[in-house]
Amino acid sequence: MKKKLTPIFGIAIVFALLLCACGGMAVGKSAADESSDSDIVEPAEVVAEPVTITFWHTYNEISPENEMLMNTLIPLFEAEHPNIKVESLPVAYEDFRTKLFTSISGGVAPDLARIDIIWTPELADMGALASIDEEMSDFADYMDLLFAGPLATNFWNGHYYGLPLDTNTKLWFYNKALYDSAGITAPASVDEMLDQCQMLKAANPDVYYFATDGTWAWVVLPWIWSFGGDITDVEVTTATGYLNGAQTVAAFEFLKELYDQGCIAPVIMGSGIDTFAGYGQDVYASLDNGPWTFPIVESQFPDKEISISPFPAGAGGSINVVGGENIVLFQQSENKEAAMEFLRFVLSKKYQEKMAEVGQLPVRVDLIESDFIKNHEYYGMFLEQLKTSKSRTAHPKWSQMDEIITNAGQLILRNEKSAQEALDEAAAQIDELLK
Amino acid sequence: MKKIFKYCINQVAFYLVLIFFALITAAPFLYMIGTSFKGQSFIFEYPPKFIPDQPTLRNFIVAWTSRRFDKFFLNSVVVTLCSTISVVFLSSLMAYGFSRFQFRLKGFLNGSIRIFMMMPAMTLIIPQFILASKLDLINTLPGVILVYIAQNIPLCVFLLTGFMQQLPRELEEAAEIDGASPWEIYRTIIMPLSKPALATIAIFSSLGAWDEYVWAMTILNDPEKRTLPVGIAAFHGQYLTDWGVVFAASLIAITPIILLFIFMQKYFIKGIMAGSLKG
Repeated sequence: MKKKLTPIFGIAIVFALLLCACGGMAVGKSAADESSDSDIVEPAEVVAEPVTITFWHTYNEISPENEMLMNTLIPLFEAEHPNIKVESLPVAYEDFRTKLFTSISGGVAPDLARIDIIWTPELADMGALASIDEEMSDFADYMDLLFAGPLATNFWNGHYYGLPLDTNTKLWFYNKALYDSAGITAPASVDEMLDQCQMLKAANPDVYYFATDGTWAWVVLPWIWSFGGDITDVEVTTATGYLNGAQTVAAFEFLKELYDQGCIAPVIMGSGIDTFAGYGQDVYASLDNGPWTFPIVESQFPDKEISISPFPAGAGGSINVVGGENIVLFQQSENKEAAMEFLRFVLSKKYQEKMAEVGQLPVRVDLIESDFIKNHEYYGMFLEQLKTSKSRTAHPKWSQMDEIITNAGQLILRNEKSAQEALDEAAAQIDELLK
Repeated sequence: MKKIFKYCINQVAFYLVLIFFALITAAPFLYMIGTSFKGQSFIFEYPPKFIPDQPTLRNFIVAWTSRRFDKFFLNSVVVTLCSTISVVFLSSLMAYGFSRFQFRLKGFLNGSIRIFMMMPAMTLIIPQFILASKLDLINTLPGVILVYIAQNIPLCVFLLTGFMQQLPRELEEAAEIDGASPWEIYRTIIMPLSKPALATIAIFSSLGAWDEYVWAMTILNDPEKRTLPVGIAAFHGQYLTDWGVVFAASLIAITPIILLFIFMQKYFIKGIMAGSLKG
């Protein structure tokens, strides 16, 4: 038996290889045929030769934003630049980081990507991004043209590593009918909230005063800042004295008080119906959320009246979080010139205006005065809130810091630790990260 | 009389428990079917309804006519067929070797296959990606297929080896006396006798390839080359997800797998017990 073994395995290996090669080749050929025009990669010192640039983003494949991008804006750009073809790739938000980081390590990053503003320092710190202020000859023109806040989120270690693409912040959304039934109006200050909650519960026992879907920084920062607290010092060197300072502790104790009195819906701990559905079905009387709330609630509850007001002020004022996306150019890009043409295009008045029509708040200063924004039913109030809104800590380890804050919030609300205790520990952990 | 009564009670209790667990298992699936027929404004209605009041086909139409759903479907079929055929062929040969021959390093090879079974796919993503990029396989379907083959082979070899070891050797000995070569034995005796186990690994590996998400999401950059799970995931937005469309698309996507399972069910049940009883 033993001596027959070698030929058998020889045959097996040959067959296996043959099969793989055949299967692989057949598929490879058809795949290559399909993309013959999209795989052109040529150095483009000048954009005289046809090039294809890749642009990755997280717009939902069937969203109005993606429709606008695919059907109106990219065709417009390609008509203006016949030599540049733009290949746009929508990626699911949850997996975008995995895909991006893997592609960078494999040396096949896209040319451009629309990324969450908080990822910019992390990617810049890895050396993945090209510094736009050095690459782009006309970068200085954009300094005055764009909002300072969103632009600043691209700054890391002395350079700008991207440009803002859209911006947003959050407002206090409330259900006017429910508020009226309890005889209350949108809270101007956090001091009114506990009383308002009791009045609302007296009139509607099954209704929660406020709903939010977790304890991550995006959710708790408006409370921390409006109470006068912060995560770290301005230079981002330490969290001790800030994250566990008296004001931040007071903010968390206030949230705990609201939660214990049944004013905050259990969805903050991950159970119950989601915030938009609860708002639409008169179960949650108020939300702290962004401009996307309008299309989401309107599509599911077409008859719902949506009311907004500024975020309730605390000792530190009415301060919410700046959100939004930057567009970044990757160091690995072989078509930087062509990619920068697209960068200029996405910051043009035309592009910004068109995207504003589908819910993206523009970043150009001159658009604030445009008729579209002036006459818009809610952009004005968001832009007003943006004046006081602050950015999350610009640091490559922000994602880890956010996780620490999230966990501290959960421990406090679950009553496993006092606010002071949990935040002391969180501050110590963040100090470790900042070393 | 008492005995029959007791028997009846037992049977009733038995079936009640079974029905209870069947309902628990089937409920999410039924809810998914119900939701895929709901209009967007009814998806979050409370209390939730399994049967929508105003059923609509809108979600299926949106899903199917969305930019490239038919392409995704075709890509998934190509990827699944290629990887399943390769896995069945390669692992049956390997299992035949392991169950019938003695050779050097057999224990080592067998052991290393089991070690690969224990490795979570996620930990291999970056090394695989770098390898694929060196082989110029990024953004190609062969790049997807090769990894699926490699991922599925260890479990399939393990199952098949267990099954083949139980096959009676007398038939092979008779064939050998008649002058059959090992290749002929493999082709005419081992393979036909292993049908139940082969059906099982075919289902396992096609299910693995059809449903796989992370690798396909990572390696494919061209929207035209995406497989179904990646295509469906792109229906999720950062803030807004149209669950009706996602469920309708998922329902279309799982239909072939359910058909495959129903078709091969009788083999599957037999095969999954392979290797579970070894004396």
